Amino acid sequence: MAGKRERKAFAERNLLIIVVVMWVFLAVATRGNFSSFANITNLLRQTSINGVVAIGMTLIIITAGIDLSVGSIVGLSGMVFALLTSTRGAIQMDMLPALVIALLAAAAVGLVSAIAVHDGKVPPFIATLGMMTLVRGLVMYVSGGRMVTGLPMEFRQFSALRILGMPALAWIWILLIILMLFVLKYTKFGRNLYAIGSNQEAARLSGINVRINMYSFYVVAAIFSGIAGLMLATRMAAGVPTGGSGYELDAIAAAVIGGASLMGGSGTVLGTALGAVIIQTMRNGGNLLGADPFIMQILIGALIVLAVFFDQYFKARKRLRVTRRASKEVDEK
Amino acid sequence: MLEDRPILQLDQISKAFPGVKALDNVSFSVSSGEVRGLVGENGAGKSTLIKIITGAYTRDSGSMTFDDNEIVKNSPIISTAKGIYAVYQDVMVSPHLSVAENFFLGKQPKIGPFVNWRKMYRDARRFLERIGLDTDVRKTVGELSMAESEMVTIAKAIWGNPKLVIFDEPTAVLTKSETKVLFKIIKDLQNEGVAVVYISHNLEEVFEVCDTVTVLKDGALVGTYTTEELEDVEKLIPLMVGRTIEQMYYKRELEIGRELLRVDNLSGERFNDISFNVRAGEIVGLFGLIGAGRTEIARAIFGVDSLRKGMITLKGKQVKLKKPKDSLDNGVGYLPEDKRSQGIFPQQDIDFNINIINFEKVMKAGFISYRKAHAQARDYVNKLSIKISSIYQPLFELSGGNQQKVIIARWLCKNPDVLIFDEPTVGIDVGTKSEIYRLFGDITESGKGIILISSYLPELMGVSDRIYVISAGRLVAEVQKKDFSEERLLRFAMKNVVSTAKIEEAG
Repeated sequence: MAGKRERKAFAERNLLIIVVVMWVFLAVATRGNFSSFANITNLLRQTSINGVVAIGMTLIIITAGIDLSVGSIVGLSGMVFALLTSTRGAIQMDMLPALVIALLAAAAVGLVSAIAVHDGKVPPFIATLGMMTLVRGLVMYVSGGRMVTGLPMEFRQFSALRILGMPALAWIWILLIILMLFVLKYTKFGRNLYAIGSNQEAARLSGINVRINMYSFYVVAAIFSGIAGLMLATRMAAGVPTGGSGYELDAIAAAVIGGASLMGGSGTVLGTALGAVIIQTMRNGGNLLGADPFIMQILIGALIVLAVFFDQYFKARKRLRVTRRASKEVDEK
Repeated sequence: MLEDRPILQLDQISKAFPGVKALDNVSFSVSSGEVRGLVGENGAGKSTLIKIITGAYTRDSGSMTFDDNEIVKNSPIISTAKGIYAVYQDVMVSPHLSVAENFFLGKQPKIGPFVNWRKMYRDARRFLERIGLDTDVRKTVGELSMAESEMVTIAKAIWGNPKLVIFDEPTAVLTKSETKVLFKIIKDLQNEGVAVVYISHNLEEVFEVCDTVTVLKDGALVGTYTTEELEDVEKLIPLMVGRTIEQMYYKRELEIGRELLRVDNLSGERFNDISFNVRAGEIVGLFGLIGAGRTEIARAIFGVDSLRKGMITLKGKQVKLKKPKDSLDNGVGYLPEDKRSQGIFPQQDIDFNINIINFEKVMKAGFISYRKAHAQARDYVNKLSIKISSIYQPLFELSGGNQQKVIIARWLCKNPDVLIFDEPTVGIDVGTKSEIYRLFGDITESGKGIILISSYLPELMGVSDRIYVISAGRLVAEVQKKDFSEERLLRFAMKNVVSTAKIEEAG
């Protein structure tokens, strides 16, 4: 009686075990430095920005797509906000409308990618590669390639804010995880995502409006990157033109380690969150152990490949068992 | 000719797929210089037999001898190397390469390390001229028309100096003049001592080109006859059909109620001027050869493909069904022919696969109540007695029959007024089939109507109240239950096959 709830939990439980083993090992090896409250909350804060981007990436990967433009969107929303609110700039807008406009700019990028992918039949890799380059160029152009400082005081102070001892940035990430866990499981939007990701044609024949749903997935994913961009801007206290470069790769890595399949139809927000934590733990822990960061990079690369390798290996074994059982049934008849 | 030693000899070949026996102890042999027709209904086992000869499928049992060598291990590469060529549409040529390159693939003439294009084009052109084609060898195959590329595919098969050529429905896309060229090519092959196997639904053609005809039925050999002893096409049809209808076709006698669905003068991509209706408690069959346009009609009614013309009336109200969602909302359901690519969500569990169109019924304040959703799924799993270990099993783990039952469960739960089943029992074992027919009875008893698309006549005749026959995109007959006969239906279905070739040529 292998239930799905058990089996899904199995993948996530494995990841959780890996995290616990890593943390216990690091706590012992660093004589408690790693497990100090300060370091753990610091680790969660370090993970939070990639963590938020990776939630959006997970949505796109579940549709059997990929979004390379997320890093550029991070840069875009931070820069838009900075240009609108900088006390040294010409506009000096209030914070709230500026936040909204920054997120709308992010959403617009997602919408363009979605139209290219769904209506233009451009492969997601290509569509978002184009948007990645285009949006980065746009950010460079509007900022003249320079950092934009002079952000409002409250905004700059936000990154230092702690609630119940936990950095506010980590809270944003955790709340978004909980929100999306709920949305993917308990709303038709979430169920449509898995349906379209596992078989787009069957989804269409089931009366699901594939176009509107695909638009929403890309827009929601882009808004998550937009939020991450604002989080980065408060951390840096500036709009940084190169902000978010390379984030797409970390986000893909987190989702893939977390069990999302590039074939679509599978992946969970919780798995991705654990994947992001594992990557950051290797960086943070390696740093505390005094390991060469280049060595840690090599290990993270190996981990990505191994995670998928083992996933495929177990799936293949399972498929073999299933086909053997099926052919036995036929023989018995 | 027939006294010759056969070049190809198949003995007692059997092949089973999960739930079906596609070939049952079939023996088959062809001699050099013989043109052999291979006929049978859809699903009689012709394609399976061909795929075993070419090595695309592995046989379960039986032996194969070709050119005096026993072939134990076979594959498309091995069979080609030995001189067996099968002409399937589009599979043997690369659309991005020129006609000449396609001929010389892997064996390009060279000057030093470089490809000798001049020689390649010249040799290819001469070859095509010799067999009677004037296609531009510099064009890529993708630029050619369907018919031209079919002819190039055929030419490529002959280019390889084959000992046996298999043609599978070669004239389906050819115009009349090209068909003539093809028949001349076949005669030339015959004179050169090449063995030919010719598969077609067009029995007149079979009689025109073949010396002998082998008939298959339900995966078993009926017999091999010379065209002289058969005398006439009419004598072939009874050999292809004629089964006793088994008890498994469970059919309830029900009061037929009011009209649920009526379509008037529907025209679309591959069909024209189709009008029919379905009434409450009724099972209406749609029969036709593969490619006749039945699936296209169903897809258009369901709003998947667009209609050029026509009117759809549901329960007396005229409706526009522009997308599947409209059809669902208006009480029309469709179970697609290719369930693997269009019906199932393989990685998702049974619960998900049943509920995906039924979440509305288990929503609480806008959110899914999984307590209710699971109960709903379990309820339908029990109703259809689907054999599973838990509703959390992913669908790909189930057998084809159980997957089909899950899709039926999905639609029973939705409970539309009219359900269209497109080949619902293909690849499904006998036990599950009879359960599906029983479910048809349940559906119609509750006052719903069913449109059943099937290529398998015994099934269609066993469960339908009326059968509409579609041939080459047109409705050619409406047959009442008392007039059902396999022979009659098959005759109607083959009616327009010849005339379409004429239409294409005219166009």
